[in-house]
Amino acid sequence: MKNWRIWLFILTLSIGCKKPYNPKVINSPRSYLIVEGTINTNDTTTIKLSRTVNLNASTTLNPVEGTIQVECDNGDKFGLFEVAPGIYKLAGITLDSTRKFRLRINTPGDGNEYLSDYEQAKAAPPIDSVGFSVTGKGIQLYANTHDPKNATHYYRFDYVETWRFHSMFNSSYVSNGTAVVPRSQDQLVYYCFASNASTSIILGSSAKLKQDFLFQAPITAIESTSEKIELKYSILLREYALTADAYKFWETLKKNTEQLGSIFDAEPTTLAGNIHNTHDATDIVVGFISAGTVAKKRIFIASEQLPSTYLPKYPYDCSIDSTFYNDPHSHANTVLQRLLAGAEVPVNAIFSNTSPNPIGFTASDIYCIDCTLRGSKQQPDFWK
Amino acid sequence: MRKIYLASFCFLVFLHAVSAQQNSTKLFTVNFQQATISQIVNELESKSSYHFYYDPAQFDSLRVTLQVTQQPLNAVLDLAFKKTAFVYAINQQQQVFITKGRQIRTELALGYSQVRTNTPVSQAPVADYTQEAEKKVPDATTENKLYEIGVKTNTIKPGRAILSGYIRDIKSGEAVTGATIYVANTKTGAASDQFGFFSITLPRGRQTLLVRGLGMRDTRRQIILYTDGKLNIEMQEQINSLKEVKISAEKVANVRSTDLGVAKLDIKNIKQIPTAFGEADVLKVVLTLPGVTSVGEATTGFNVRGGAADENLILLDGNTIYNPAHFFGFFAAFNPDIVKDIELYKSSIPEKFGGRLSSVLDITNREGNKKKFTGSAGIGLLTSRLNVEGPLGSDKTSFIFGGRTTYSDWLLKLLPESYKHSQASFYDFNLGISHQINEKNNLYLSGYLSQDKFKLNSDTSYSYSNKNLNVKWKHNYNNKLYSLISAGVDNYKYNVSSTANPVNAYNLGFKVMQSNFKTDFTYYLSNKHTLNFGLSSILYKINPGTFEPNSDKSLIAPDIIPSEKALESAVYLGDKFDVTDNLTISAGVRFNAYSYLGPQTVNNYAPNLPKEPNNVLDSTTYGSGKFIKTYLGPDIRLSARYLLGDNLSIKAGYNTLHQYIHLLSNSTSISPTDVYKLSDPNIKPENGDQVSLGIFKNAQANTIEMSVEVYYKRLRNYLDYKSGAVLLLNHHIEQDVINTEGKAYGAEFLLKKTAGKLNGWMSYTYSRTYLRQNDPFAGEFINSGKYYPANYDKPHSVNFNGNYRFTHRYSVSFDISYSTGRPITLPIAKYEYAGSERVFYSDRNAYRIPDYFRSDFSIIIEGNHRVHQLTHNSWTIGVYNITGRQNAYSTFFSEQSGVISGYKLSIFAAPIPFINYNIRF
Repeated sequence: MKNWRIWLFILTLSIGCKKPYNPKVINSPRSYLIVEGTINTNDTTTIKLSRTVNLNASTTLNPVEGTIQVECDNGDKFGLFEVAPGIYKLAGITLDSTRKFRLRINTPGDGNEYLSDYEQAKAAPPIDSVGFSVTGKGIQLYANTHDPKNATHYYRFDYVETWRFHSMFNSSYVSNGTAVVPRSQDQLVYYCFASNASTSIILGSSAKLKQDFLFQAPITAIESTSEKIELKYSILLREYALTADAYKFWETLKKNTEQLGSIFDAEPTTLAGNIHNTHDATDIVVGFISAGTVAKKRIFIASEQLPSTYLPKYPYDCSIDSTFYNDPHSHANTVLQRLLAGAEVPVNAIFSNTSPNPIGFTASDIYCIDCTLRGSKQQPDFWK
Repeated sequence: MRKIYLASFCFLVFLHAVSAQQNSTKLFTVNFQQATISQIVNELESKSSYHFYYDPAQFDSLRVTLQVTQQPLNAVLDLAFKKTAFVYAINQQQQVFITKGRQIRTELALGYSQVRTNTPVSQAPVADYTQEAEKKVPDATTENKLYEIGVKTNTIKPGRAILSGYIRDIKSGEAVTGATIYVANTKTGAASDQFGFFSITLPRGRQTLLVRGLGMRDTRRQIILYTDGKLNIEMQEQINSLKEVKISAEKVANVRSTDLGVAKLDIKNIKQIPTAFGEADVLKVVLTLPGVTSVGEATTGFNVRGGAADENLILLDGNTIYNPAHFFGFFAAFNPDIVKDIELYKSSIPEKFGGRLSSVLDITNREGNKKKFTGSAGIGLLTSRLNVEGPLGSDKTSFIFGGRTTYSDWLLKLLPESYKHSQASFYDFNLGISHQINEKNNLYLSGYLSQDKFKLNSDTSYSYSNKNLNVKWKHNYNNKLYSLISAGVDNYKYNVSSTANPVNAYNLGFKVMQSNFKTDFTYYLSNKHTLNFGLSSILYKINPGTFEPNSDKSLIAPDIIPSEKALESAVYLGDKFDVTDNLTISAGVRFNAYSYLGPQTVNNYAPNLPKEPNNVLDSTTYGSGKFIKTYLGPDIRLSARYLLGDNLSIKAGYNTLHQYIHLLSNSTSISPTDVYKLSDPNIKPENGDQVSLGIFKNAQANTIEMSVEVYYKRLRNYLDYKSGAVLLLNHHIEQDVINTEGKAYGAEFLLKKTAGKLNGWMSYTYSRTYLRQNDPFAGEFINSGKYYPANYDKPHSVNFNGNYRFTHRYSVSFDISYSTGRPITLPIAKYEYAGSERVFYSDRNAYRIPDYFRSDFSIIIEGNHRVHQLTHNSWTIGVYNITGRQNAYSTFFSEQSGVISGYKLSIFAAPIPFINYNIRF
């Protein structure tokens, strides 16, 4: 009677489904200005200017050239400098965090001028702690924070995560084109560092609580098989304090772009930011410019802190081959054919009882050996 | 059809007793191949002077293959009906009577003369044929008996008299609703009401009443009407004849009634239509009717002629059901074993109903069997049901009780890890008690309880429940006037709770309570006027949200939105006026008075400015019971029918409606956490009106019905939400909603074959629904104030539903539905923001999901039909969505690892086989 269970299982799986969907080419009649960033009163302010592109465009990023000024409600004005296409920075200036700020943007391409609404600078309270809990699938990172002044209520987070990882095989040899030689210290490619910035919108609200307190606000989840936590993992969490309007903007953006499709999820709605075209009130500008300080916290998680049952799953299928100067079966020089030609990379030497020199090398695909393909050997300054 | 006499018994009284064996010895040579009864009869009649009498309806599954040479008639007939239940009798006049089961005696029935002389001919003002008196009389004889009504006089006075009484099921004693009584040679007709009561004004003298009821075998009564009097009529259930049932009641109703846009279905029709999990589903069947759409499969709401899902009044035996679905909309909350029939009013809404803008779905449960204990049970893949019914004490009182539950958790446990921790369960119970106090007074009690709980792979659990109870008292004052007084409570609540994060652990509750009181009077003023009048009152109390910590560690600040109260009252008067034989007008007015009651604190906003926090002038606090704001609104209900011939009529109607309780939802379908809001000083009542016009035609002896209806409808003050609106736990919800206006129009074509082995219906609907928000004081425009299609705007919709009965035991059903995909808001551009690709959305509902198409198939296998057996059983086997088409429920674009991808979500994406076993005892 086991069959019926399997049959029902298949039946159930087949009832509902989620499939890729690519409608006929939909093109927007025009493109809209996108402004991203926060006026950071005690650190570098970075603002990104871009425009929307059609859905089928191969590159999404469409930087816009313009001039940007931060304006304080006391009349002070600070110009930003373009450091890369579409990226503008204001560094080395501390702004008065008791005041209100706005952005003035001019886009010479179309002669438009945009202004954001004056926003009160809000100080982000320090992050109390960043921790993690072990769940069935892996670990869940969370943050705790509170505002003793009961004035923040709305929080947004983003992060940069960095981790040390190793490749599948630790190679001691390398081909220099003419011969296979032992790797020098500089040539070791087993351990590397990789880094990622957050891609989803992380929000927290204590508006419904008696105290301005975020307890274990979820930040991100890491699967138990992830390479990120095979050696050591670090996360730099940044916290921004938001106004109620800013929170509503971010929440709508999150709902519109991250939380759609289940039966009860809300329908997409118009995204109302706080930036307006001074020449055309009907123009839509995506973005919300807040002002305030940023709180930061970095933590490290070493693999020793995690359950020993966690085993990383290497992202590639890796196997080990053997190459010989004189293959015992074909008598071909497979070291020459495979390693010196660069098809595979040597891992370790193969010795025989009869000779002190290697008779060949174990070998594998470069993706299984060279960690620099996915990371950098350079240890970040903050690493400890 | 001149030779066919429906009930050949009637002739017997005029026949002389002659033995069938003495017929002439005319010999026949025939060769029948799969011949029908009419072919056989035509052949035999053409070769002889015999005349055949039979009821063709009984023979529609008979096929005879027979070859005989030079045989007498009785030998031919013996062979032809061998192994069938048909028997025949031949008299000396060469008349042949073919019947089923019982042979007709061609001599005079024994005791016939006693029957006549025993007929009560009293001088009492009322000769009342109670059901006991009739029960002893076999059904067939009843038809032939001549009943004398009223005070007998030697000469019949000219003029008219009123005949009233009840129509009941002979087997269970239950009332037969919607049966029509109809005098063949005049155009006078009447229909029984929900209690089986009828009243008809007839010319005095001898009359033949034709009685037809849904699910009942047609019958007739012969009366001599002297003065006003009563006659109770018992009808026999038409067992197994499935679709044929429909015809009878609608034969008259379709063309002759003044109703426009009214669909009535009895549970037998509903049970034929295949559904996803094999259990008959009242709401899914409603969706196959022209003019009804929904946003998608497995959703709770339905939309009637462009109205929103909350604009339907769903009544179960007079109880208002707020959430009519179980299990996210996969199942209707109505037990198919208890439901008797449903009636959907799309256009001609009787004046006794009000308070909703689009439609009334009136679901009637059966009364319990008054004569014996019976029950039934059904087993399906996900649900089981059981119901019992029977007399309580005497045959004056009966009860019916039904329960359903699911055991779907096992199914969820088989799902992959990411869904494994989901749980879902539901149950519902129905209880009905009816009691006849005496001739003039009846009491009815009806209770309903449903509960749903689910937890969808998260730590948040949801539950919702309906609780309803009402008592109705029916009192007959006299033949012409009766009243129905009812009182009841309706309760709907939901609860959401979460315990995963101790600091944020919460409990959220929401509750709608309404107490209602209603009186409905029906007065048969004359043969030209039937009056309906009454009043109704509903006291609403809504707890719009209590948000509380559910553990000591929780830091949740309790947030309780003050409850709101309102009183909705109405008085109504309606008259059905038969102006001439051809023209009938129904005219009614319903006067609504709605008051928002204290205690309450209401914000006052600056006039002509958006209702936003910074436009609040001040707020006023009102004391308990204070009438804060009263809205008065008259509703007009008009419809008229003009008969262009016996089988053709045109009808026109106009009606207006008001609605004071609104469902606020920003998800595509009704979700279990949507909010009900009462109209208050800042939120105006919704109102709407509709004009409609229809042509109704019957053909082929009323077995084919055709109708075309067109309508145009306007909606005002429909509540939409602003972008980013928060609807739950919002203390000032008027700041997050905006008034929109709507218009809807369409044409509905329906072709229905109601009799024969093949029956069913086919409909095509063209309909459009647009909404517009262009109030400059609302704060924001949707789609720059232009009209945009509503979520459920599906211009083209085709439905086919067919049933073919091979034999009395086997029948198959097949249905097809097609509709244009619903509108959807799609992304039109993309950009980078917050580390990921994001999408930029079009105007609201500027695009559509792919068209919808589905076909289903089912076989119903009945057990044998011997009447005397312990249990009767049946199987329903079928496949839902045979073609396995992956109909899109929605399409959406979502970020995954920083890249935007489009997805299409289908709910029933493969053929779904189902099986159901039902047993009656």
